[in-house]
Amino acid sequence: MLLFENKEQKLINTLKFVGSPFKKFVSTGEIKEDVGLVQSRQEFLQNIINVIERNENFILPIIGSVGQGKTHLYWALKNELYNYNIVYISLETVYKKFYYNTYAEFIENLGEKPEERVEPLRNMTKRLCNEWDAGERKFGFFQIADIEDVKKKALKIWSKKFEDKDSLMDVITAIIAHQCDPYKKLEAERWLIGELMDIRDLSRLNLKYDLRKTNIAFTMLKVLIENLKKESVLFIDDFERIITMKTPIYETTEETEEIEEVFDPSWFGTKQTPENYTSEKVLDKILDLQKIRGLRIIITLKSIDYLEEIKRKIEKKNRKLLLMMKKPIIMSDFVEQDVFQFYKNNLDFFFASINYNDYFKHFSTSFFPLNKAVLKYTFKKAKGNPREVIKYLIKIFNEIVTSNEELEKILENYHQG
Amino acid sequence: MNNLTDFVLYDSLNNKISNGEFTGSIISKYEDKIIFSDNITISNSDEISIYQGLIVGFEEQDEELTAFSRKSDFLWKNLEEVPLDYSVLISENTVDQFNREQFTDDFPFTINLLHTAGLYLNYAEFKVNHLDFFKDEILKNPVSLINNGIIMADRVVINELGDPVFYDCIIVGRDDKNLIKVSYETFVNVDDTNVLYIIILGIEELKV
Repeated sequence: MLLFENKEQKLINTLKFVGSPFKKFVSTGEIKEDVGLVQSRQEFLQNIINVIERNENFILPIIGSVGQGKTHLYWALKNELYNYNIVYISLETVYKKFYYNTYAEFIENLGEKPEERVEPLRNMTKRLCNEWDAGERKFGFFQIADIEDVKKKALKIWSKKFEDKDSLMDVITAIIAHQCDPYKKLEAERWLIGELMDIRDLSRLNLKYDLRKTNIAFTMLKVLIENLKKESVLFIDDFERIITMKTPIYETTEETEEIEEVFDPSWFGTKQTPENYTSEKVLDKILDLQKIRGLRIIITLKSIDYLEEIKRKIEKKNRKLLLMMKKPIIMSDFVEQDVFQFYKNNLDFFFASINYNDYFKHFSTSFFPLNKAVLKYTFKKAKGNPREVIKYLIKIFNEIVTSNEELEKILENYHQG
Repeated sequence: MNNLTDFVLYDSLNNKISNGEFTGSIISKYEDKIIFSDNITISNSDEISIYQGLIVGFEEQDEELTAFSRKSDFLWKNLEEVPLDYSVLISENTVDQFNREQFTDDFPFTINLLHTAGLYLNYAEFKVNHLDFFKDEILKNPVSLINNGIIMADRVVINELGDPVFYDCIIVGRDDKNLIKVSYETFVNVDDTNVLYIIILGIEELKV
């Protein structure tokens, strides 16, 4: 039995062995984050939740400068609104095959494991086929659906809701095959989860295209979002890329001279660059998503100027769509108290994850290994920017973990600056 | 009425009769034939009618017994006329389970017949036995009349001994006290000596 133990030194030794609790300073849509929000952000989060819960279709801009925690907000929303299907997309990765990639993100978001993803999809196709009377029992027992009749009924019910009738027919065919035709069920399921299919598989399903075809992907996205049991929120990060994607480089002759290009679109009487064209197309596609009932869209932007520019673009396309745009919610910097809480939240999470329970016994009310003065210094230096705060904390903890100097000496450097 | 439990609507042996209009999943034993229907009406004057039921059994054609299934209306004016042995309303839970188990991918190579055909018949001098021909095959939509009851199943497999094994089945029959019982079984092994007949229902006849 230990009569005396230097608990502080033990904690430092543990850190030296395990490593720093602060490692990652950029949040991404792929890696899950479980650390909760600080107090001032709770209120901010609640404002967003209120908009989500009180409205059906909208675009909600969130404005925050670099490193303010816009992406982390996605994880906070996901943790808080577990009854919603919240899907993260980054324009950088989905601008090509926009609907197909967005659909793939929705499917991936349905569950962590592949079998968990398929289950909501199966429930949806079953429910839809029942609505189309495919589940009717002949003579009280036999579920012998007349596939052509079911298709006709489905088409009749849905034809007013969908513009592209060919795509709608393909989607209906796949859904009915999935539920009513045991011999095509597997192929139909592969089609529905967005797998790439060869011509042989497609012909077995009596379909010409898989979901890579733009119109089919859009129709399927609409079907999925409108018929899943959970409401959907699409979180589009760094939306200003829609503008930066389209810097006009052929506008003036001076600029043209500076850039060595083999192809100049102005030869064909157009000032549109390929980037310009792509971003226009992506913006059109995003605006088309408003036709999907119940889809809430959150966009994050670095500044209000970007928002104004995007609004002007939307206005040029369709003024009515501006009505969908909600008043932006501005993300503020951390206040000093937030840094204290953020630091404690992270340490609590870190020591819980490595099962170091002594931390909660002996350090639950202290800031050890740092202290209040160091955290105040960090806040001041980072000017309240969360990413800068994390960078400072990474720097300090790396020094604690790797240096042989005493803790007090290390921390002295972070008192006076 | 609530269909959460199985309900005997008519039992000739125990003089049980329930008056009313019933809808749901109903199995009736009619002589040595079986009627599947989604309705039955038993009036206060004991008139029994079934609208658009599916009757399944063997009938004589050209001095041979041939399996058949056909859609038909039935009407019996009074109890003396009624040839039914019993009618049972199967509970929603049982039918749901029966339907749920049907479309599994575990049996992808199932044989579906387009038209109703007899797989097995053991009736006096009339015999039909195609069990050996279908050994190790999976046949969809079998209906069987056995010594004391009826089996309707999603599929039947003829095992290596040549005996039928029914999968995903609803069984209706009389127990040793002649009371009518209903059960759902995932699979049932039956010795072919206990079987009066097995008929495979044709998809086309079900679609009519």
